[in-house]
Amino acid sequence: MSKIAIVYSFHTQNTKKAAEMVVKKMGKNHVEKLNVEDTSAEEFMQFDTYILGSATWFEGELPNHWDEFLPSIEERDFSGKNVALFGLADQVNYPDFFGDAIGRLAEFFQVRGAKIIGHYPNKDYSFTESFALRGDKFVGVILDYENQADMAEKRIEEWVKILDKEL
Amino acid sequence: MIKTEVKYGIKTTDKATLEKWYRLMTLGRALDDRAPNYLKQAIGWSYHAPYAGHDGIQLAIGQAFDKNTDHLFPYYRDMLTAISAGLTAEEIILNGISKATDLASAGRHMSNHFAKPEWNIHNVSSATGNHTLHAVGVGRAMSRYNHKGVAISSQGESSVSEGYVYEAINGASREKLPVIFVFQDNGYGISVPKSDQTANAKVADNFRGFKNLEFIYCNGKDVFDSMNAMETAKKYVIENQIPVIVHANCIRIHSHSNSDRHELYRDDYELNYVKEYDPLGKFRRMLLRYERFTEAELLAIEQEIKAVVKDAHKKALAAPDPDPKSIFDFVIPEAIKVEKYPDGIHQLTGEKKKLIEGLNETLKAEFRHNPDTYIWGQDMANKDKGGIFNVSKGMQQEFGVERVFNAPIAEDFILGTANGMSRFNDKIRIVVEGAEFADYFWPAMEQYIDSSHDYWRSNGAFTPNVTIRLASGGYIGGGLYHSQNIEGSLASIPGVRIVYPSFADDAAGLLRSAMRSKGMTLFLEPKALYNDPIAATPIPDDFMVPFGKARVRRTGKDLTIVTYGNTTHMSLEVAEKMQKELGISVEVIDIRSLVPLDEESILKSVKKTGKVLVVHEDKVFGGFGGEIASIITEKAFEFLDAPVKRVGSTYTPVGFNRILEKAILPNADKIFDVAVKLYQY
Repeated sequence: MSKIAIVYSFHTQNTKKAAEMVVKKMGKNHVEKLNVEDTSAEEFMQFDTYILGSATWFEGELPNHWDEFLPSIEERDFSGKNVALFGLADQVNYPDFFGDAIGRLAEFFQVRGAKIIGHYPNKDYSFTESFALRGDKFVGVILDYENQADMAEKRIEEWVKILDKEL
Repeated sequence: MIKTEVKYGIKTTDKATLEKWYRLMTLGRALDDRAPNYLKQAIGWSYHAPYAGHDGIQLAIGQAFDKNTDHLFPYYRDMLTAISAGLTAEEIILNGISKATDLASAGRHMSNHFAKPEWNIHNVSSATGNHTLHAVGVGRAMSRYNHKGVAISSQGESSVSEGYVYEAINGASREKLPVIFVFQDNGYGISVPKSDQTANAKVADNFRGFKNLEFIYCNGKDVFDSMNAMETAKKYVIENQIPVIVHANCIRIHSHSNSDRHELYRDDYELNYVKEYDPLGKFRRMLLRYERFTEAELLAIEQEIKAVVKDAHKKALAAPDPDPKSIFDFVIPEAIKVEKYPDGIHQLTGEKKKLIEGLNETLKAEFRHNPDTYIWGQDMANKDKGGIFNVSKGMQQEFGVERVFNAPIAEDFILGTANGMSRFNDKIRIVVEGAEFADYFWPAMEQYIDSSHDYWRSNGAFTPNVTIRLASGGYIGGGLYHSQNIEGSLASIPGVRIVYPSFADDAAGLLRSAMRSKGMTLFLEPKALYNDPIAATPIPDDFMVPFGKARVRRTGKDLTIVTYGNTTHMSLEVAEKMQKELGISVEVIDIRSLVPLDEESILKSVKKTGKVLVVHEDKVFGGFGGEIASIITEKAFEFLDAPVKRVGSTYTPVGFNRILEKAILPNADKIFDVAVKLYQY
């Protein structure tokens, strides 16, 4: 039975909102919530499946809380583990870096052996460039609370269905 | 784009290095936070541009800089860069409160422009980003002298909008120079969001089409990413000898400067999240999280830094203030002493040489004499052609493309890189054809201004050693853009010698003096006389003319004509006519040198004749003649028997049709009429 953790910063607003909705939509699946700001590497490594949530800050950057966490696991092996990603981004103000943060997270974990699950189609978005795009799919679902807040719930629902199939 | 080599990391970097960085960042922040207090207490530091939010990249620039091999051009926000490069807290405060012992400028330049000339941390102007040209000039010198080092230029992203930045990068890419251009991108130019500057979010992307240019993008708020980026950049530049742009994303936690109030244009939400991104806070958290330091250890460091700052503050406050009597120091460097021809007059007779030959031969002789001379400009050197008027003919063949070369059509670049190259060592002497014609010199004005006061602004630490040659004046049917005389506008700018010879020997002598002297000389050449036999004279091989020495080309006792350039010959013609036809004895003084001006010779003549006519080709209104006339009126009033008169161009541009040109420019007839009337006064 896959041990699933959803990891994000508890001090965020939209990311936290999205995370709670993901957990709700996942229903009976037991998902452990981890705060990336104070999770230790040991705690993190206990899981087989990760659902990681991150906004993109400034021009394609990871928020501090992810930046400060990653070195603690950079030497770990993630072979056999699954990583699913949900991102928060603003396609109107930052169209050139849309959802880049989850692209960076995907790269980080893939290089360390993880399998990225939950690729999400590039549908109904309008942006110029994204580091999270792989062909015609994003590495995970991207939610735009600034411009498409009303689509968030539906997108999360769809995405959780994709995850369920792949898990 | 280059991939940043990951050398530094929170787990891998040794503790001593982490501590060094933490100390520098803590010290920097302490001073950055403290600077506004000096203004509140009316002690000084009336200009402070806080750097908080740029900590990562500024630490990295300073760490990458090696004072034994590199040159650094920090901008006005680079306090931590300066500290990381080695300036002490005391040196920072001395600059902030403009003390006489401030290393950068002894209180002459605006505060928060840090420099340490002895380490090649340069004093930059407030014309934001224009030191990019200087960095390229230094890079050119490094390349010429096979010097293993880099020139690092640092600026904010919004200042990249200035045209001269594009000229600088184009030059560095074309010439393949070892320059690192750092763009510290905090999203704002004062209150203007960067989206108002250019379409690309990262302005470095504007240069992606340039050849021989590489790019590194980094997080300027992250110490490790920034350190890795700068190390990678420097290594790459030295190995590959091409320039690199490092684009670092920062945040600006505070206002642009103490005269800006960012609450007027940034909302609370933005101000809050910007504080969350404090690079120093992030670094501190990581040191603790990864157990590289304990809280106690960090607190101990912070306490020590507080003591360092307190001590530096006391010492800086006690330092001497600048002496008002010192204002005349370092306006212009001392010129070379002319021992053999103290009045700039020779006795050589025989074969006459034209003005153009005088210039060409003197240039060659000087290039043979000093292997560290360089000349460049537009249309300088293409096979048999040497310069638009062939003044530099044969030079590239003899001295090679390393010393005699073409520059792009970019006048500011031509002059700015001359200023920069001068910084490499003070044996270097540069001649630039500032533009094809004086009329095209104006784009170089911002470098002219900057260079004119480098010596003064650095309190004597640095002078650009550059001779700017410009083909000036009309009488060639050239119209508005091939006839201008610009000395009237430029004489009011202190720091540059201005000479305007009329004869071949004076041209040769003044050019030699200019090229052997330290400092800047504006060398105006009356192009109508390049090949005119009327200006031809014998020229001794070693002739030199001291600056500030006029030459009496014709003695007389009834009337004085003070003149220079093309009108010297007309004045001589008029003097001859007045003698022959009217028995009037006219003294003609060719001032040769406008700055410095030989007042003594002029006043001596006025006292003798009592009547003065000032003649030049430039417009009467606003022309240099107004200055001469005022000096005469002020200092020799009792000796005057008539008002001081002036003859020059009409207050109009110079028309292209020769009919218009004739109506506009002075000529012998116009001079004659005024001179005769003046005599009869």
